[in-house]
Amino acid sequence: MAQMIDITINGKPVQVIQGSFLLGAVRSAGFDVPTLCHHKDLTPNGTCRLCLSEIELKGRKRLVTACNYPVREPLCVSTTAEPVVKHRKMLAQMYLGRWPNVPAIQNIAEQCGVTDGSRFKSELTEENPKACILCGHCTRACEEFTLERVLDFAGRGIKRHLTMAFGEPDSHCIGCTSCAYVCPTGAISVVDALNNPKDPVKIRNAGMRVNAEMATLDQSQCRMRDVGTANIVDVMNRYDLLPVHNYRFGSHEEAFKIDSKVLKSRFAQGAADGCWLGCSMACAKTVDHFELQTGPYKGHKVCVDGPEYETAAASSNMGCFDADFLFEFNFYCDTYGVDTISVGTCMAFVMEAFEAGVITEKHTGGLKLPFGACDEVLEILHQMARGEGFGVDVGKGIRWLKNKWAKEYGADADYLRDIGMELKGLEYSEYVSKESLAQQGGYALATKGPQHDEAWLIFMDMVNKQLPTFEDKAEALYYFPLWRTWFGLNGLCKLIWNDVVPADNSKKHKPQDAAKIPDHVRGYFEFFEGMTGTALDETRMLEQSARVYNFQRCISRMLGFGTRKDDIPPYRSMGPVTVEEYESRAERYDAQLKDQVGVDPTGKNTAEKVRLLRAFREGQYQKLVDVVYKRRGWTSNGVPKIERLKELGIDLPEIVEMVKNDQE
Amino acid sequence: MIRVNENEVPWRDGMTVQDCLDAMGYDFVHITVTVDDVFVESIRYRTTRVPDGADVRAIHLYHGG
Amino acid sequence: MSNHNLKPIDKSDLEKIAARVREGFGRYKAMIMVCTGTGCVAAKGFDIRDKMTSEIEKHGLQNEYLVVSTGCNGFCAAGPLAVLQPSGVFYQKLKAKDVEEIVEKHLQGGQVVTRLLYTDPVTEKTHEKMEDIPFFTKQQLVALRNKGLIDPENIEHYIARGGYTALRKVLSDNDPEKAIDEVLASGLRGRGGGGFPTGLKWRSGRKAAKERGEPIYVVCNADEGDPGAFMDRSIVETDPHSVLEGMLIGAFAVGSHEGFVYIRKEYPLALVRLERALEQARTMGLLGKNILGMGFDFDIEVHRGAGAFVCGESSALMASMAGKPGEPRAKYVHNVEYGYRDKPTILNNVETWANVPVIFEKGSKWFASIGTGDVSKGPWNGNSGTKVFSLVGRVNHTGLVEVPMGMTLREIIFDIGGGIPDGRSFKAVQTGGPSGGCLPESCLDLKVDFDSLTEAGSMMGSGGMIVMDDRSCIVDVARYFINFLTDESCGKCTPCREGLFALNRTLTKICDGQGTPDDLAFLEELSQTVAAASLCQLGASAPNPVLSALRYFKAEFEAHINDKRCPAGVCKPLIQYGITDACTGCVVCAKRCPTQAITGEKKAKHAISSEKCIKCGVCLEVCKFDAVEVK
Repeated sequence: MAQMIDITINGKPVQVIQGSFLLGAVRSAGFDVPTLCHHKDLTPNGTCRLCLSEIELKGRKRLVTACNYPVREPLCVSTTAEPVVKHRKMLAQMYLGRWPNVPAIQNIAEQCGVTDGSRFKSELTEENPKACILCGHCTRACEEFTLERVLDFAGRGIKRHLTMAFGEPDSHCIGCTSCAYVCPTGAISVVDALNNPKDPVKIRNAGMRVNAEMATLDQSQCRMRDVGTANIVDVMNRYDLLPVHNYRFGSHEEAFKIDSKVLKSRFAQGAADGCWLGCSMACAKTVDHFELQTGPYKGHKVCVDGPEYETAAASSNMGCFDADFLFEFNFYCDTYGVDTISVGTCMAFVMEAFEAGVITEKHTGGLKLPFGACDEVLEILHQMARGEGFGVDVGKGIRWLKNKWAKEYGADADYLRDIGMELKGLEYSEYVSKESLAQQGGYALATKGPQHDEAWLIFMDMVNKQLPTFEDKAEALYYFPLWRTWFGLNGLCKLIWNDVVPADNSKKHKPQDAAKIPDHVRGYFEFFEGMTGTALDETRMLEQSARVYNFQRCISRMLGFGTRKDDIPPYRSMGPVTVEEYESRAERYDAQLKDQVGVDPTGKNTAEKVRLLRAFREGQYQKLVDVVYKRRGWTSNGVPKIERLKELGIDLPEIVEMVKNDQE
Repeated sequence: MIRVNENEVPWRDGMTVQDCLDAMGYDFVHITVTVDDVFVESIRYRTTRVPDGADVRAIHLYHGG
Repeated sequence: MSNHNLKPIDKSDLEKIAARVREGFGRYKAMIMVCTGTGCVAAKGFDIRDKMTSEIEKHGLQNEYLVVSTGCNGFCAAGPLAVLQPSGVFYQKLKAKDVEEIVEKHLQGGQVVTRLLYTDPVTEKTHEKMEDIPFFTKQQLVALRNKGLIDPENIEHYIARGGYTALRKVLSDNDPEKAIDEVLASGLRGRGGGGFPTGLKWRSGRKAAKERGEPIYVVCNADEGDPGAFMDRSIVETDPHSVLEGMLIGAFAVGSHEGFVYIRKEYPLALVRLERALEQARTMGLLGKNILGMGFDFDIEVHRGAGAFVCGESSALMASMAGKPGEPRAKYVHNVEYGYRDKPTILNNVETWANVPVIFEKGSKWFASIGTGDVSKGPWNGNSGTKVFSLVGRVNHTGLVEVPMGMTLREIIFDIGGGIPDGRSFKAVQTGGPSGGCLPESCLDLKVDFDSLTEAGSMMGSGGMIVMDDRSCIVDVARYFINFLTDESCGKCTPCREGLFALNRTLTKICDGQGTPDDLAFLEELSQTVAAASLCQLGASAPNPVLSALRYFKAEFEAHINDKRCPAGVCKPLIQYGITDACTGCVVCAKRCPTQAITGEKKAKHAISSEKCIKCGVCLEVCKFDAVEVK
């Protein structure tokens, strides 16, 4: 953690974080120095020399550029010492002599008390007020914001000039306009050739804020450019939320084998990649030259697109803590066009069933499938693709397997229902929701199935304790699904909403509000407004989503689903199904029994405690559902009320028809 | 005794905000900490003392991937 | 020589090879060491060597005399040259036709060819033996210990002179910290100009690499860019293995397994010799895995420069190696901590590396006893060992010299350099290349070491030493260096880019006779800002030639500005060529004048038309009667 260093600036004592650059300390101490090549969102490169300040360190005085001088030891700083002032004046004359009409330069000259640059007038003097002053903002923005390097300097010494490679327009330039955004003189102009957005400047400014945040904050936040969503593996394991062995546990001692450190070491070197050319978050990663060990492409060296968090967590869920397996699994799922989450969660279910003896090698065509059976998982994947063997069954998903095994193998249907992590036919995504009632709702109350991109409330609920009452949880289960649906409706990536956070988010907003990351929400609204010309706020946004959300629910009803019984999840998502699970978190569960259920756990055997806890939790869940339905304007059976449809303006006859028989 | 996100944590003299986070195993990067509703900057976690009986909130700003 | 005969060796083979080579040499009556450093090569040194070989064969003497192609002998003023060993007979200024005479008269006939011996222009004495020649007598060879005695393209010669035994010693002691202590105790300081204590650098680098668990690189800076300097070029052309062995020892001491040589593109012969040396070392297992069978892995990659003086600056060099534009960066965080690929990097100059093996061979105490200063008081207090200088310009004995630190300028220029030719007088000496200054006669008794010249406004630098006589215009010299630096500035930071451009403009103005009195104050003021505000040492030291010129030769500037006169007769717009009464009317100059500016009849005094005269100086050169004057 950062150490603080005591320094004095112009006699004033100041504390600075060790290793931070001097300029920040100078400014926050209330002093200033002129700067030209400095930009708050770009790495400093100390080329304009205007911020030169005198430091005295260990009795020795020297001049350093404040913008990129790292403070490592106590020292004395003077921004007004005579040599510093003198040299700044001379520098200002140089600038004025070369670019006399550029406002930014005239500003600097004024700050330095200089009016005459004629001593530096030469054949290279440019009269243009929008001349390029070689500050390098654009080259750095191109590299740091969008991770390209389309613009750079060519020419040595006085011949230095800005250009694209070989002096020709570069096809890699995607017109992100970061360069124009940071140019202090207007030397770079933007010619819009777009799809007629109403206010392109508004969009650009909103986008630039994001670019700047990614360039300056990402490295110390989620490291999306560095490791991408793989960083989440580490976090979930630490917080006991990483699915392990079909969601029985939340962490594993071998999780380090597929954590972000391991994955980073295998990702292609230095390639921060985006889903589209120019994305400044650039969190996509690939593992290059990976030699496949199995399947139709065995022996080929391929590029594996990923792995993302979900795929790694699916691997953990299956107990397969092996990076090479993970890459091969990722690759073949992609190649065969099957979802890694569905396959992973389904396999985890199969493995638990195998370990419990519900199915045996007789049923699996001879394949042994305990947790961790990496090779066998790959074999099943290939069978799925070939359309033969046990893999075909697995390929039909958990719902189908539960039915088949109960019907044909005489398996205990209740047990399978408890451990088969699917709802509405979709396999659960990779987070342990057991200890968060709000998240259980987040998963189970989603129309599409248990996909966390509707609501991810685990920290808010479990860790922050920000949703103590049912009403709090219901409010969150109202807002977040609608907010998150909105991304999908507009075709926007959600990662820049909360996978990078403004530096002052916590300072500016109360914790409850900070959780919504208000400044980024506003950014999305500005994008929308810039595109369509229609102003947006939270109410209107929620309305936009709610119209679609409720429409979806109605269609679901029309198809014969969309009622309460379809929103009741498998117990594995709510609490410990087995004695083993209970005992892995006994302290926590015993405490809940005591404090919330009002039952003294002492003297009771685990199976009994499991039963008591289950009854409690299932009851809690039903209560939650009541409150959520009410908040959403649905009947007690989970069907949208017609008055709600009216409110949203979607009470079209065809839609009312879908739900009219379910009204209360 | 102090409370960290409503969990009871034993207090000791000289306890800092960082100590509270360590006690709970909170090492997530996007955390907002308040001590009795007063916001504490992350660079001050190791130097800000927590008084006995304090209500410490460590809000994790996270919404999954 | 070819590599066919080379095989991997282990530590016990070094003495065997040395014995074999010496025994081989012993079978000859004498060896003819022909200098093939670039200077002599440019004057057809390869032809001399080849002719020598063929003449010897022609006369059937190939079993009695062996021709060895050596690197730079150092006495460039006397080149092309050949030295007989072991007798030391020194033949100079050879032309191909002289070779026949040497072979017939001396090798076959036993008689020294006196006409080809060296005659000192000052004492007018003729010397038969190299060891008697004043140019050589005051030198002390440490970095250049093998010069003229080995074929740089034959690794076995280097081994025969004790090469790679220092490496073996370091590897068998197997104590890297102790090796660093030894270098620290020797007082060795960077020979590239910075003078940073080498042992300290190695210590910091090793520590940083260990603390961060990261690899560390060693780099040799062979990007010698100072105009007129060729110390590093000569070392690489003459004894490349001394550099490689130094790097091997350094790598072991700091824990490195990857080394690089960054060599400028403009040194083709040095590059050839370097690559050959690397190849031979690899073949013999002195580079690569399990060196000498002693368990140490290390290899070296060569990077070529692309014509930028600024790439001699360490951070620009490393940027260039990484494929980025050769621009320096702020050095608030040093390269020993975050250098090449952001890893700890030890960058040392060619001459520094060449000194390392001999420190281990002869001991740090021995090394510290040469030179001045007292390293026991601290690593910055030592001025130990020797320094190689390229002594050029208006001096009798131009060439490469190596002297102990602390020798005075006077001794180097007059005792070794033989003073100023043509009876002219000493005016100034430029030391330290474009980063140094011009020192006048009053400074001649200053000691040449890391510290003494700095107060006087110059610096020892990497070893360039340019002597000037009264025919050198100091203003023009200052302009020359600023012009050079203006061209070489990377352009990243404003004071260097714009400031040097303005200094150049102003100095040119003065040399063209357009100077004003304000210009002097401007030069001084601007120089101070460029020096103080520049990002790297190129800019920071660029004003030194101007500032030192102003300090010691202000009168010359004033003559240019106020009187529109160039006292040394150099600045063309300020001089006029004229013909004196000594003219005999021989018409030679008129015939040779390229612009027909000279008119005159036979036997009558000629005249030069100042409109047509381009001041090329041909008439001055061809006149046998000293009748042309420059005013």
